[in-house]
Amino acid sequence: MSAMLMMKQVTKNYGDGGRTMSVLNKLDLTVNAGEFIAVLGPSGSGKSTFLSAAGALLTPTSGEIWIDGESLTNKDKRELTELRLQKIGFMFQNAQLLPYLKVEEQLLYVARLAKLGTKESKERAAGLMKRLGIWERRSHYPEKLSGGEKQRVAIARAWMNKPAILFADEPTASLDFERGREVVRMIADEVRSEGKAAVMVTHDERMLDWCDRVLHLENGMLAEHQNTEAATVQV
Amino acid sequence: MFLALREMRHSKARYSLIMVIMLLVSFLVLFVTGLARGLAYANISAVENMPANYFTVQDDAEHTFRRSQLSEAELAAAMSVVGDGNAATLAVQTSTVTAEAAEVKADITFFAVDMDGMLAPKVVQGEALTNASQGSAIVDSKLEESGIAVGSTIVDQASGMSFKVAGTVEDSSYSHMPVVYITKSDWQLMKGGAAQEGSAQLSAPYNVIALKATSAEADQVAGKLDHVEVITQKQAISSIPGYAAEQKSLLMMIAFLFVIAAFVLAVFFYVITIQKTSQFGILKAMGTKMSYLAWSVVGQVLILSVASLAVSLLLTFGMNMGLPDTMPFQLERSTILLTCVLFIGMSLLGALISVVRVAKVDALEAIGRAGA
Ligand SMILES: Nc1ncnc2c1ncn2[C@@H]1O[C@H](COP(=O)(O)OP(=O)(O)OP(=O)(O)O)[C@@H](O)[C@H]1O
Ligand SMILES: [Mg+2]
Repeated sequence: MSAMLMMKQVTKNYGDGGRTMSVLNKLDLTVNAGEFIAVLGPSGSGKSTFLSAAGALLTPTSGEIWIDGESLTNKDKRELTELRLQKIGFMFQNAQLLPYLKVEEQLLYVARLAKLGTKESKERAAGLMKRLGIWERRSHYPEKLSGGEKQRVAIARAWMNKPAILFADEPTASLDFERGREVVRMIADEVRSEGKAAVMVTHDERMLDWCDRVLHLENGMLAEHQNTEAATVQV
Repeated sequence: MFLALREMRHSKARYSLIMVIMLLVSFLVLFVTGLARGLAYANISAVENMPANYFTVQDDAEHTFRRSQLSEAELAAAMSVVGDGNAATLAVQTSTVTAEAAEVKADITFFAVDMDGMLAPKVVQGEALTNASQGSAIVDSKLEESGIAVGSTIVDQASGMSFKVAGTVEDSSYSHMPVVYITKSDWQLMKGGAAQEGSAQLSAPYNVIALKATSAEADQVAGKLDHVEVITQKQAISSIPGYAAEQKSLLMMIAFLFVIAAFVLAVFFYVITIQKTSQFGILKAMGTKMSYLAWSVVGQVLILSVASLAVSLLLTFGMNMGLPDTMPFQLERSTILLTCVLFIGMSLLGALISVVRVAKVDALEAIGRAGA
């Protein structure tokens, strides 16, 4: 199995001169194709920092990161932008759709950026929208959609360019329990059907049913099964 | 342009508002420019329409026609350089005339020219004069408002000489006054009569010599004659009394309008851009290149400024048709082009600060922000 994301000894320090704070501390992680991973952690534990570093938005203080075999070290801003376009799909808190694009155009826009052919991108967009149940909504503006529908459009947009890996930042935060679970299930379904990988950051432990692995961000490092086992026992 | 167009489609009210403001400003720019040009033309059309590109003036005259005095000797020297047909004397005299039939006075400028030379007036109504004509004049058609037309007789107040109007010309003003063309021999009579203190035999001097010449020839003429300067038509026009002051104030207004246009647009776009900061963060995180976003902003500004210019051009032409004749208005194609290019240029300059702002947005802002 090939590694879609590999992080080795990644450290991120914040601080001015004397007082530095290690948010990520020699963090190691490998995510393989077909894997859906959840990262849990309390507020301020560094979840956003972790996701930004893995998603090529933030350069770590030290350590190395590979996306789909490509190292992020020594890449300039332009190259990182191009890599995000081609290899990474993002889902943000609150969906963050562009208010002035209709649902279908949200998908076609990223396809245009990646210079996909018109016919090919229309077909791919149609396929994604049908699978995610937003086909009927394709010519609506985001303002006319429910929160769950918006996140489904965000899922479709994130997968549009066939990225190697999808990063989701609290995708369920603005949704109720049922809608949230549905969104997570759909991310998991897409990971399987696309044969790619996904990393979801969340603080909601009820959303983990479809995740292959659950990791905890503690003291700047990722640790496997700790609270999860306790949680599972309780249920 | 994908984003730019769709955003404008979605926020029609917001972009229409900007367009209306730009339209009003660009209309004002075009309109004031047209008035300035019209005023300029009404002021100096007689000199502007001369086929001469250089003028020979006395070097202590500070480029002003009326202060300069030249004689036949200088004309002969100039002719020897540029050829007989490309040099002609011009004598200028402001005066007041009364029309014999009507009880009106009019301020005019006498132009005494060689009726066979290059400065001979182009008569549109009536008959042209020859150098042999005596007591006849060709007048600017604007004098018709004072009741002076072909066949009228006008009397010069200063000299008491009377002239029969043989024909009229169009667009011949000097210092906002209609021009009355007379022959060189009548000029000598007029001047001889005015300075009849013994020296009546001497021929009265002319003011300037108009030249149709290359710049090399102009230099040659200047070198050949002492105490003489050769100036361009542009320099001559800006030395016409009142012209520079008038044009400077109008130019000032136009310059301010341009600055206001750029400023208004810049502020509007800047505010819109700030509102969209998080959107730009998301777009960058998704892999949109900065150049793409910059073109998006610039594209919107281009569309808005070109569209509002087009509408205001139509408005300007419509307005021009409804304008009374006493309000001179003139817009040549080259002036329109220059104004439009400048306006678009200033708009783009205003858009630049928004582009800088967009460039400063960090894609990192997309992650970990709950608010939209
Ligand atoms: N640019 C920065 N400069 C300095 N400190 C920062 C910066 N960004 C984040 N931090 C600090 O790093 C720590 C981790 O922040 P981060 O946003 O990654 O936490 P988080 O786990 O995402 O929290 P939450 O669940 O509240 O979103 C916090 O203590 C925060 O104050
Ligand atoms: Mg966070």
